[in-house]
Amino acid sequence: MRRTLIIILAIAALLVFGIIYYALDPSQSGMFPRCTFLTLTGYKCPGCGSQRAIHALLHGDVVGAFKYNALLLISIPWIALCLYAETQRIRNPRLYTRINAPQLMWFFLITVLLWWLLRNIFNW
Amino acid sequence: MQYWINHNGVQAGPVSLDEMKEMGLTSRAYVWCEGLSDWVKITQMPELQGYYEMISEPAAQQQPVPEQQAVNSGQVITGQPYQPQPAQPQYAQPQAAATDEPCPPTNLVWAIISTVLCCIPTGIVAIIYALKVTNKYREGDIEGAKRASETGAWWCIATIILGIIVQPFMSILPALMMSAG
Repeated sequence: MRRTLIIILAIAALLVFGIIYYALDPSQSGMFPRCTFLTLTGYKCPGCGSQRAIHALLHGDVVGAFKYNALLLISIPWIALCLYAETQRIRNPRLYTRINAPQLMWFFLITVLLWWLLRNIFNW
Repeated sequence: MQYWINHNGVQAGPVSLDEMKEMGLTSRAYVWCEGLSDWVKITQMPELQGYYEMISEPAAQQQPVPEQQAVNSGQVITGQPYQPQPAQPQYAQPQAAATDEPCPPTNLVWAIISTVLCCIPTGIVAIIYALKVTNKYREGDIEGAKRASETGAWWCIATIILGIIVQPFMSILPALMMSAG
């Protein structure tokens, strides 16, 4: 009962955000939030460009999305896998433990830190 | 009622009560069924009394006992002498957990989403806590893993609140001040 409600709310929120990010271009419109980290330090954070990347993705522009935020694009399959693991945590704890392997987490952590460093050096 | 079982490194389910009788469970087993928010020790389920054999703790470090073969093959072999089987999955997985209690949530998916989407670098802390959960769990420190899981969840929530609520507010603040002044 509560579970169904949460799923319905999540889908509704996704739809609303999807429509907003499809209809409005974050690089043109002023109503999208600007990254606080970028404003304060002048350096990009790992998530910078993800709003423009989502807009590009919703319009089918994969290359554009990759240019705005490559990290977002390459994490999508992994987010899907982890989300699946999360839904299976109770029923299939063994699968959950296997997907939540420390090696994979280290890999992601190092990727994020490298991406953060390199995008500020090469202005990606 | 159908049950899910975790016992001696073997996961099974859904099984019926009749099937459970055949599995040769001990009081070390963990169970879950519809309506429970998480796995519990079999001894905490009064309706399952009589479906498992009481054994003394601490038994987590013991060598695997014949019950798991019964689970694998679906036949009762309780009472038979232990026959070593080198192809058991737990030998092939040195990383396998030290207990049968399932891993607490690592919140990894929320940590990744908040790192990639929220533009607040604190999502990285949540990833480090996800690592802490799995490492503690694999060491057998369930209590430590649960604590890390809870702290990690708070980091995810804080990152998402900062990213989705505070940040947009901050970015419209200059415009508000301009229109006011």
